[in-house]
Amino acid sequence: MITSPAQSQAAAARQWFLAHENLGALVEAIRGTGRRVIGPTVREGAIVYDEIQTVADLPAGWRDEQTAGRYRLERGTDDQVFGYTVGPTPWKRFTFPPNLTIATAHRTNTVGFEQPAPDAPPVAFLGVRACELAALAIQDRVFLGGQFTDEDFRARRAAAFIVAVQCTVCSSTCFCTSMGTGPEIHGGYDILLTEIDEGFIIQAGSPGGAAIVAKLPTRRPSHAEAGAAVDSVEAVRTRMGEPLPMVGVGERLKLQLDHPRWAQVADRCVECGNCTMACPTCFCTSVVEKSDLDGKSSTTERQWDSCFDVGFAKVAGGDFRARPRDRYRQWLTHKFSTWWDQFGSSGCVGCGRCITWCPVRIDVREELAAIAPPVAPVVLPVAVEPVAASPGSYSMARLASVRPETEDTSTLTLTDLDPAFLAGRPGQFVMIALPAFPAVPISISRFGSNAIDLTIRAVGPTSTALVNLHPGAKVGLRGPLGTFWPVQEAYGRHAVVVAGGVGLSPLHGLVDALVANHDRFESVSLFYGSRTPEDQLFRDDLAAWSSGKAIDVAITVDRAGPEWKGRVGVVTTLFDMISWDCSKVTAFVVGPERMMQASVQGLISKGVPADRIHVSMERHMECGIGLCGHCQMAGRFVCKDGPVFRLNDLGDMFNREGI
Amino acid sequence: MDEYAVVIATLNHTWFGAELSPETQERLARLGELQDFEADEVILQEGDDAREMGILLSGRLALRTLVPGRGPVTILSVEPGDIFGWSAVLADTQAQSTVVATEASKALVIEGTKLRAALKEDHALAASLYPRVLKAVARRLRSTRLQLLDLFAR
Repeated sequence: MITSPAQSQAAAARQWFLAHENLGALVEAIRGTGRRVIGPTVREGAIVYDEIQTVADLPAGWRDEQTAGRYRLERGTDDQVFGYTVGPTPWKRFTFPPNLTIATAHRTNTVGFEQPAPDAPPVAFLGVRACELAALAIQDRVFLGGQFTDEDFRARRAAAFIVAVQCTVCSSTCFCTSMGTGPEIHGGYDILLTEIDEGFIIQAGSPGGAAIVAKLPTRRPSHAEAGAAVDSVEAVRTRMGEPLPMVGVGERLKLQLDHPRWAQVADRCVECGNCTMACPTCFCTSVVEKSDLDGKSSTTERQWDSCFDVGFAKVAGGDFRARPRDRYRQWLTHKFSTWWDQFGSSGCVGCGRCITWCPVRIDVREELAAIAPPVAPVVLPVAVEPVAASPGSYSMARLASVRPETEDTSTLTLTDLDPAFLAGRPGQFVMIALPAFPAVPISISRFGSNAIDLTIRAVGPTSTALVNLHPGAKVGLRGPLGTFWPVQEAYGRHAVVVAGGVGLSPLHGLVDALVANHDRFESVSLFYGSRTPEDQLFRDDLAAWSSGKAIDVAITVDRAGPEWKGRVGVVTTLFDMISWDCSKVTAFVVGPERMMQASVQGLISKGVPADRIHVSMERHMECGIGLCGHCQMAGRFVCKDGPVFRLNDLGDMFNREGI
Repeated sequence: MDEYAVVIATLNHTWFGAELSPETQERLARLGELQDFEADEVILQEGDDAREMGILLSGRLALRTLVPGRGPVTILSVEPGDIFGWSAVLADTQAQSTVVATEASKALVIEGTKLRAALKEDHALAASLYPRVLKAVARRLRSTRLQLLDLFAR
């Protein structure tokens, strides 16, 4: 008898108190309707679900102790009937039997197949916990929610009267709060019990449940009794502690199919399949044919199977999941990731059975934390308020050092500056000025703890004067200005940086950020092209990046003498090295516009989405704040709407002549 | 694994050879000869008869041209999977650049006369090979065009 949450809520408007000594009346009342009662009982050192004849069969006074790989029963100090958590038996044993004859066949005068009608006599499940109700609901979706249904399951499920029990205790293996399935019960039952010291708070969740409750010797609960029931369930939530970070775990797992932990956990796993047998939602089966010796009649028996079974994924030509690591990965990723794709929920309800009943103490919670750990929440940065924003006002900075990069390009390290410059973002720029020289826009190429770097090519009077300064000189700064690289957009993706010539300068800070956070990305790559080897910027940094593991660096030059042993060719030739799924690439491109166009074309032809390509544009700038009008590009000011743009946002303005 | 099998396996990992039919891969492998080059070894000299075409399997080659007053200038590097000496597809042509190994390299080298004869008689081979040679030449043209633009010029 399946009730919806709405039905349950409507019917459960009234609560009653049932004394401990009257619990037998509940069992009798249910049995009186012709139902077998299945409930918890002690057998072979465990609390299992089996037929209950009288209330004496229930495990009053028993407590369980569960940890990974360990289950022990002991006598408690009181006679609580439901003072333990879930045992090894999942309720699916009764709705989805481990062995079921699904067909018979005969070969006498003719050949025929018969499908038996479902045999589902009325039954009551007594003591169904919140996680178990969630598991039944999950199997409802698996067996009844799609185009093809399991009619045997439907019949057994419909024949079941559910007496649910809210947990007032929890084991160390419980994690229903992490899976959002408990400990509170919000529907899906005919009768709901919450055990308190003197008895039970009982409420009906269906007309059938109300009819039973009406027959019981109940009274109105006192305010204290009703409150105690709520408090004891709430206390379980508190005892379970902080929920596991399950949000996004499905997607994180999909990114970790090659994680070395799969092999490590598989080395421990003995592939007994206990986890799948004890799991209340696992639904895999195989069929076995059983034939008479004369071959005249046979039965087809469906049996629970396990994806840990060696032959589970075997076909005539081989085994698709031949290695234990493949089978463990299949199980864990199905439970916590691909189950969502198939059935719209997790396949785990947090009952902890797979942890308790694992003989080698594998704990899914530990495996998830190791394989798909949560990434720190992404806090989208906002641009710092610039200082000395208005033209003519400057914040002073001191030149700490000048480092030649190429024949005409040097990196200036500026210190003693306003903290706003240190809080700038990669991709932003400053307006820098000297007395008697007009201010020029320069990208911040590196952010230090107390200094910033500006890499300047001497192409005009101001830039030439700047690169000829000596340490100690004072310069005027305004900024940081403009938009910045959206690093967070590339989290979980392949971050690709494409730089041409001095275009590496506005990308240097980005590369630093990508390298520092490389664990957040599927991969990080830098493709750098310059005119000749002598024109390369940041040669020490390129060498350091190349020797590390955080970023793959590929370098090419347009032409070279015989002493150059590296690649020769334009930067787009490096894209031949891309072997990954380009739909998962986020690209950051800077260089001369013609080079950016060729690069963008090359990336798009590889399959990189245009809205995942970011470029930095260069235009004549004088004010840097959108007031002078010099840097207009169609409807945008490059200084304040850019210089970093998403390619899509530029539309056909990108690389259009005369814009 | 015999030498041909190694060549075919290597071809499968290159853009040039990956989608060739197994028969064509086998034909190519048997037409050519696996050659090792030491670093700085000159493989073809600019202006010499284009006597052989090669598919680079590992290492790196430089295509160099001599510029009076500047000496040899590398205009393109050949990476694994790319071809060199493509002029050998045509009869009576000269190498367009000097091909030098910049590091120890391995290539499948096919003699020009044998290659042209095979292309003439084996239409399936020709139908597979010509578009790839053309693609290689087109890539070089596009690349050279961008280089000519001297995008990073001051």
